[in-house]
Amino acid sequence: MLAQQLLNGLVVSGVYALFSLGFTLVFGIQRILNLAHGAVFMTGAMVAYYTVDGGGPLWLAFILAVIVSGCLSVLVEITCFRRLRKTGDEEFGGVVSSIGAGLVITTIAQQVSNTQILRFPFETFPVVIFRFWDLRVSMLQLFMAGAALLMVMILGYLFYKTAFGRRVRAVTDNEHAATLMGINPNRVYSQTYFIAGALAGAAGVLVGLAFNSISFVMGEPYMMFGFAIIILGGLGSIPGALLASVIFGMVQTLTIAYLPSGLTDTIIFASLFLILLFRPHGLLGQEDAGNLGSRR
Amino acid sequence: MSNFIAGYIPLFDLYCLHVGLALSQFIVLRAGVFSLATAAFAGIGAYTAGIMAVNFGMHPALGVLCGTLTGMGVAIVLSIPLARLRGVYQAIATVAFIQICLSLNIYSEGLTGGAMGLNNIPKTVGTGTLFVFAALASYLIWAIEKGRLGRAFNTIRQDEAVAASLGISIRRHQMLAFAISGALAGLFGGLEAYHSYAIDPRQFGFHLLITVLSYVIFGGRNSVIGPLVGVAFLIILPELARPLAENRMVIYGIMLILVINYMPKGVADTAIDAIKARRLKARGGADI
Repeated sequence: MLAQQLLNGLVVSGVYALFSLGFTLVFGIQRILNLAHGAVFMTGAMVAYYTVDGGGPLWLAFILAVIVSGCLSVLVEITCFRRLRKTGDEEFGGVVSSIGAGLVITTIAQQVSNTQILRFPFETFPVVIFRFWDLRVSMLQLFMAGAALLMVMILGYLFYKTAFGRRVRAVTDNEHAATLMGINPNRVYSQTYFIAGALAGAAGVLVGLAFNSISFVMGEPYMMFGFAIIILGGLGSIPGALLASVIFGMVQTLTIAYLPSGLTDTIIFASLFLILLFRPHGLLGQEDAGNLGSRR
Repeated sequence: MSNFIAGYIPLFDLYCLHVGLALSQFIVLRAGVFSLATAAFAGIGAYTAGIMAVNFGMHPALGVLCGTLTGMGVAIVLSIPLARLRGVYQAIATVAFIQICLSLNIYSEGLTGGAMGLNNIPKTVGTGTLFVFAALASYLIWAIEKGRLGRAFNTIRQDEAVAASLGISIRRHQMLAFAISGALAGLFGGLEAYHSYAIDPRQFGFHLLITVLSYVIFGGRNSVIGPLVGVAFLIILPELARPLAENRMVIYGIMLILVINYMPKGVADTAIDAIKARRLKARGGADI
């Protein structure tokens, strides 16, 4: 029983990782809390649903979802944050602006879906269940874990092994100096937002498949969990977000399994609150985060 | 004619209630605290008042007072740990606080009615009471703004180091801002409970946070006129856009993006600044 729960937890962790990596990436680079990220995630699921609904195969749905969410995320960056960064009010303004963007995206999705909960047709993803000793693993779970792992590895490669990664890290460190080195920061930002959105879109498709329920509000709980994860990992830290996703996925699955059901959220957010108070830089974040005077 | 007015009374009630909540959000932002906890305080106030009336049959005035004091008390307690944080971290902590209140509320079904909400609250608050309280709250905030406290808040918001060097206790002032914010939110939450027969936990969640924050952003964060104008605009706008009813949240969202990008001070404050600048010009741009 425990092993089974741990396994389920691990699969859930993968989805959380995909979602929160983009969230933390954007914060790490621009110090902007992108509250439209949940809406981008939801868009991924919606696009996949409508592709399958229109008769497309699942792999095409997945690719389309990833591309559309990536582009949407870039659009959010251009319309909501680019101007704010120039005026230097991105911390406060970014929150407000991205709330606006999230509102626009979710409302459009609400109209498109007629406020209904959408479900993939039966056996969109073949229901196959493997058994190892006592453990039950579905093909979907294997696919989810595999997809998450693959994407995280690609991301790691991009960020730590390629010229693109060096450009991103240069801009993060010092935008001005990076510009003098001939890097176009706006381009780097767009690329990063694309990656963040694409990861969120992929997470959206996986969640849509796993729970087989897609609605325009599905992004909101993930945004809330995303907060908890990126704070726990340390705002802006990629390895931190990964570690925190695993911890979070495990803890959530275990609390649901073994504790009174209504209290899961309370425990999660209470621990988020405590982490913020006693270790605002999280597990792997920079030391000075969130403390007095670090903002200027 | 009277029919015409009667049709708009619910709208006016909503305006008064939301003015109170918007002022509660306004005062913390003014003191340089990025707290979004108004929704939670309003929920606490509403539930305290509601439970007092339903379970103990308390007089509405006392019930509202209980709501106000509870809101204030919780805000003061919350301000102590939050003094350690700044900026986005503060915002996230308050969002977490809202979620904690929400889930505890749903969990403790025996006391709060859980997800079904609290029903059968006697309706004892009418338009007149709401208007009086909204006016009082606006006056209170206006008076704070004009006095020493307002200047202290300004200094803290602009530069904490300068404020500290001028002998302004940042911790104490921010706690005070929290207390006022909590009291106002608790008060108007309590009024809402007595005004609407029933309250439910989701009413005081993330959605209310967005609504209240938008009022202040839209109107302006510098003078008390800001929230008043912001609430008026954002409540009337959906009514004007009735033919576009389906798209009204889209318009709302686009407005938020446009205002924060192109008029970051908010509609009212930008207008006030423009009028001041013109007066100065008319006077020959003399002493500033």
